[in-house]
Amino acid sequence: MNVATQTGLQEKDLNITTMRSAGQLIKRSLINTRRLPSAFFPTLAMPIFNMVSFSGTFFALTKLPGFPTDRSVNWFMPLGLAMGSAFSGVGLGFSLIRDLENGFYDRLRMSPTSRLSLIVGPLFATWIRVTLVAVVVFIAGGMLGARPTAGVLSYVCSLIAALGIATIGAGWGLGLAYRFQDMRGAAIMQLSIFLTMFMSTAQVPLNVMTGWLHTVARINPITNIFRLSRSGWVNETSADYMSWSNAYGGLLAIAILSVMSLIFAVRSLKRIDN
Amino acid sequence: MTVSPIIAENLVRHFGDVQAVKGIDLEIKSGEIFGFLGPNGAGKSTAVRMLTTLLRPTSGTARVAGYDVVKDADKVRRNIGVALQDAAIDPLMTGAELLALQAVLYGIPQSMMKKRSDELLERVGLTAAATRRVSTYSGGMRRRLDLALSLIHQPTVLFLDEPTTGLDPMSRLTLWEEVRRLNKEGTTVMLTTQYLEEADQLADRIAIIDHGRIVREGRPVDLKASVGAPTLIIKTQTNQEELAKTVLVSFGDLRPGAQGELGVGLRGGATQVTDVIRKLDEAGVHVQHLEINEPSLDDVFAEATGYRLEGSDNAPPAGDNGVDEPQTKKKSRRGRK
Repeated sequence: MNVATQTGLQEKDLNITTMRSAGQLIKRSLINTRRLPSAFFPTLAMPIFNMVSFSGTFFALTKLPGFPTDRSVNWFMPLGLAMGSAFSGVGLGFSLIRDLENGFYDRLRMSPTSRLSLIVGPLFATWIRVTLVAVVVFIAGGMLGARPTAGVLSYVCSLIAALGIATIGAGWGLGLAYRFQDMRGAAIMQLSIFLTMFMSTAQVPLNVMTGWLHTVARINPITNIFRLSRSGWVNETSADYMSWSNAYGGLLAIAILSVMSLIFAVRSLKRIDN
Repeated sequence: MTVSPIIAENLVRHFGDVQAVKGIDLEIKSGEIFGFLGPNGAGKSTAVRMLTTLLRPTSGTARVAGYDVVKDADKVRRNIGVALQDAAIDPLMTGAELLALQAVLYGIPQSMMKKRSDELLERVGLTAAATRRVSTYSGGMRRRLDLALSLIHQPTVLFLDEPTTGLDPMSRLTLWEEVRRLNKEGTTVMLTTQYLEEADQLADRIAIIDHGRIVREGRPVDLKASVGAPTLIIKTQTNQEELAKTVLVSFGDLRPGAQGELGVGLRGGATQVTDVIRKLDEAGVHVQHLEINEPSLDDVFAEATGYRLEGSDNAPPAGDNGVDEPQTKKKSRRGRK
């Protein structure tokens, strides 16, 4: 007789699935968001603050020849949303560091649930939070004068871009948190993701950039994601207006970067066991 | 065939140049409470982390609940319960929410979850606090919740890593009772502790670990016997002292006692007490008072390591970080006996 069957529940009685565990981890993540709103507040406030301040401060940008929209809020609302999403994504890394430092993550690791659920659960919770942020940003943007140029698709494309950036940020944040296991990882998470974003078309279109920044922004895959996000907010006459050819690059960038960052997270998680 | 629930062979773990565990061999039998005793940094927690699949051994093998901790880590996890040193619990959640999370992670069917959680909350006396956030719990309540969480799937093997560190005496006794109850129900328990009294009270067998090596292993009574015979002290009428001495000397060396008392070191251990009483009675000696002083685990520890545990009188010590640290050397009291 194997000792494992002496007093425990029988193997056949157990119902361990990735999605069931992920569901419970989503619930935990959302409970924590509700009970610690101060941790969620910056994610919500940052995009609105960025949108208001940038669209007001840099209003004159719309006068540049070739600027794709005459409404500065149309240009900066997707930027605010992207920054909020990135913040949500890397925020997952911060939460993980907290769990690693207080030992709660050991409890999760000692459970027989799949390692994938430990990543997928919190990631899905991040998607829910990003969707909430997006709704608030769209409402605030509308109140400030943002007007979609491609109807519902404008919102859909911005939301897909936001979810994509959150996923990339989450994979990157989780991977760094697993590797450093303390707050050293937090600085790298923020610095790297926001530098990468700002070295793209985050603030100005490619055609008004010059020099090395133009070169970097042109090859930076985040530029493609911003193109997707703004495709429903630029003028219909703009070369960046919503089309399959404009959306394709953004979707591909999201897919590739998401997979890469999640692989990085999974591999980093495996390193902890060693 | 019954397989021992915990078997480790030459288990080694290095952290860079630091050798935290230097090759330990263990076999813990089904239904035992096994005490793993050692000071801070002796390697207790590192050994437990390897046995509970949290850390891969650098070399050596270990089987827990019949499965290899590296090759069959998932199967090991399904069959063990673990309460780690610092009661790692999310303070924002309630006890009931944490039990629900734990139940799902261990695959407890939805239909059984509520019943199982309620049973465990009642068992550890937290029913009334189930819907309160853990941040409002006392240290003892957190420990009890930690224990409940580790029992959600009815594990056959339970690891308790310093379960009473930082607890008040009452909470400590409550937890000891619960551990004994679990053990009576058939759970094999591996308990790490730096409290000599805890190991003595709870463990069927103990291993003393020092600088990553097991330096003594056995039943507490045997280990204590190995460092010296227990002393039997008797008090009798003054006019019978000489007669009593002639009886006592046949059981071991006479030892000085307090005023009016006679002492003898029992060569055959404490089990000889009944023989001594019988012989004294047959010789017509009326015993007015009797006590037996066993060598303590503190003496065993000192004999094995050459120093005594910091706070061996059970003062709360600092936490164990799982790597070697300088030990507090105190002069052995062994010679005072």
